Amino acid sequence: MPIRNRLGETHADVTAWRQHLHAHPELGFAEHETAAFVAQTLREIGVDEMVTGVAQTGIVAVIKGRTDTAGRVIGLRADMDALPITEASGVDFSSKNHGVMHACGHDGHTSILLGAAQYLAETRNFDGTVVLFFQPAEEGGGGGREMVNAGVMDRWGVQEVYGLHNMPGLPTGQFAIRSGALLASADEFEVVVTGKGGHAAAPHQARDPNLAAAHILLGLQSITSRNVDPLHASVVSVCALHSDVDTHNVIPQTTRMTGTVRALDAGVRDMMEARVQAIATATAQAYDCVAEVTYTRGYPITVNHPDETEYAAAAARAVAGDVITDTPPVMAAEDFSYMLEARPGAYIFLGNGDNGTLHHPAYRFDDNAIPAGCSWFVELVEQRMPAH
Amino acid sequence: MPIKNRFADLHADITAWRRDIHTHPEILFDTHRTSALVADKLRDFGCDEVVTGIGRTGVVGVIKGKAGSSGKVIGLRADMDALPIHEQTGLDYASQTPNAMHACGHDGHTAMLLGAAQYLAETRNFDGTVVVIFQPAEEGGGGGREMCNDGMMDRWGIDEVYGMHNWPGRPVGEFAIRTGPFFAATDLLQIEFEGLGGHAAKPQETVDTTLMASHAVTALQSIVSRNADPIDRIVVSITSFETSSKAFNVIPQRVQIMGTVRTMSAEMRDLAEKRVTEICQGIAATFGGVARVDYQRNYPVMVNHDAQTEFAAEVARSVSGQCDEAPLVMGGEDFAFMLEERPGAYILVGNGDTAMVHHPEYNFNDEAIPAGCSWWAEIVEQRLPLAS
Repeated sequence: MPIRNRLGETHADVTAWRQHLHAHPELGFAEHETAAFVAQTLREIGVDEMVTGVAQTGIVAVIKGRTDTAGRVIGLRADMDALPITEASGVDFSSKNHGVMHACGHDGHTSILLGAAQYLAETRNFDGTVVLFFQPAEEGGGGGREMVNAGVMDRWGVQEVYGLHNMPGLPTGQFAIRSGALLASADEFEVVVTGKGGHAAAPHQARDPNLAAAHILLGLQSITSRNVDPLHASVVSVCALHSDVDTHNVIPQTTRMTGTVRALDAGVRDMMEARVQAIATATAQAYDCVAEVTYTRGYPITVNHPDETEYAAAAARAVAGDVITDTPPVMAAEDFSYMLEARPGAYIFLGNGDNGTLHHPAYRFDDNAIPAGCSWFVELVEQRMPAH
Repeated sequence: MPIKNRFADLHADITAWRRDIHTHPEILFDTHRTSALVADKLRDFGCDEVVTGIGRTGVVGVIKGKAGSSGKVIGLRADMDALPIHEQTGLDYASQTPNAMHACGHDGHTAMLLGAAQYLAETRNFDGTVVVIFQPAEEGGGGGREMCNDGMMDRWGIDEVYGMHNWPGRPVGEFAIRTGPFFAATDLLQIEFEGLGGHAAKPQETVDTTLMASHAVTALQSIVSRNADPIDRIVVSITSFETSSKAFNVIPQRVQIMGTVRTMSAEMRDLAEKRVTEICQGIAATFGGVARVDYQRNYPVMVNHDAQTEFAAEVARSVSGQCDEAPLVMGGEDFAFMLEERPGAYILVGNGDTAMVHHPEYNFNDEAIPAGCSWWAEIVEQRLPLAS
């Protein structure tokens, strides 16, 4: 039982939805037209309940199975937001919203979940309830966190949650998953180094925050190279350095540095936070400056639950045959992690073929992946809540 | 069928051999007494062939089974060398040689393989041939490589090889193994920076090698923190920093730094070699000096083969009831050379709650002997079964 026939029939419709969404991308928490389109489609599909405006622009919809003897409730999630990228993919349904692009395939995720919803509402061949989450602002806004904070899990009694993400480089329709940490936590830090500004010709009368910041940057390299267990993955990247002057002859008063910390293990993450603090503070002191460190925890580690990973892989196997169950973790982050903190569940990768990399202006979502994606959601529902 | 009864009988003898070897540790290829002891015992057991001087001080013994119709030959390997550590165990059979100690349990490995050889020579309940391999110089000398280079595998027609290491922290006699890369490749770095020495009061007339080498040590951190895939495993450690002069008022002409690079994949190993060379030469040029980089590839990644690992784990379960998945180890192991030449597997056997290997208070746990010997014997009897 690979792709379901009915999902072969609806492939053209779902592709049309996807390409429409692609042409009209919207940024996080501004997915107004996208949400309206999703809501309209869900109405036509005939869902049993729908709430819009959840976490600003998110949508929750409910599809009841033919029976509900065991009170089972499964959540399926897609993300709707686009990126601030100017599209250069060359497709004829390219973004009409200049400077905004679906460069991460959320148009595909949303359409796949709509396609699955249509099938589930038509057939209702399951015993329980499906709750659909269309979340805003995955790309840094924490739309998933906002949905969880809005109480969606408790309000609809969701017991398990599942999501998927397209994966460039994997053959189209190939599924890949792993139990445990799949994607990294993504924290941000800002270090403001304050010294004493002065004339660049008289450095001895100043306390140079640029020199201190440069040494902090070098010192931060030692977190990954010296502090973290080499068997654990970690990244510290300093991404920006700005001094408060833009001249050739002034030693600045302050220099600001920003960067990101990634980890796949909670203990490593804690240690890295402590080391960023210690290195920045002590190094600044060494150069007679003061460092003020603001460390902000962003998306948590996306941790797939063992049992639910098994269920997700079993559904994928039913759809596609061979499934990769030990795909390496990825240092990118994903705010589905908040949903996985709230409920057991799993996140799976779906191959997007050789169509460019995510977040690149030439990236293309592969519509040929749609039937496999829709079938996976449907299979999961029918396997986890079998009809009597 | 857990521990073989015969090994309970032999436990006291094997323990006595182990302690005798412990009292007389020998470093690297200087395992003359140990090799002689091993060869004598193998002859006493009635081995069909005993050859010394393979890989300089290595010993090979051949034991033929009751039947030889399978034509199969299995190699079982132990290491014999000790470490240049001054023993601080306070044992009554402690090392009588200053600055030499069996701090890695090779005394135990050798005694256990001798015990297994005695049993196999007594019973010969197998169809094929066993080659017991006792190698010198595992601790950095590449004794395993030397034995392979002497043509051992072809000379005795070895089809598969197996090895074992005791593991502090695991319950005594409990096994752990993993397939694929297991122990790291261990490469050796020696870099000489040359500048222009001179009076410390006139740095402007010198090319300061201490500054150059310090920048290189800092920049070498970036291989792990910036160049390596965070998901892969790599360690770059600088372990020695030595100036060519030792004075308060001389800027040295040369600085030599030494270190080690540990990797788990060919890609990371190639990357490390390339980057170490580029970084050191680039930094030296930056300061007007030169760097002579000697990057020596030492032990390769030790890779367990799938089928033999599965079999070794099965045997371990039959001996101890269970066999865990072992973690990756950033240490190196020159059994890697044997696994490059023949399929095989390396297993860890618990040494209980003892000091870590290479610690002056470490001691091999004689309680592990029956499990270790049984594993060796079962490997042979299950892999080369007699026709019933």
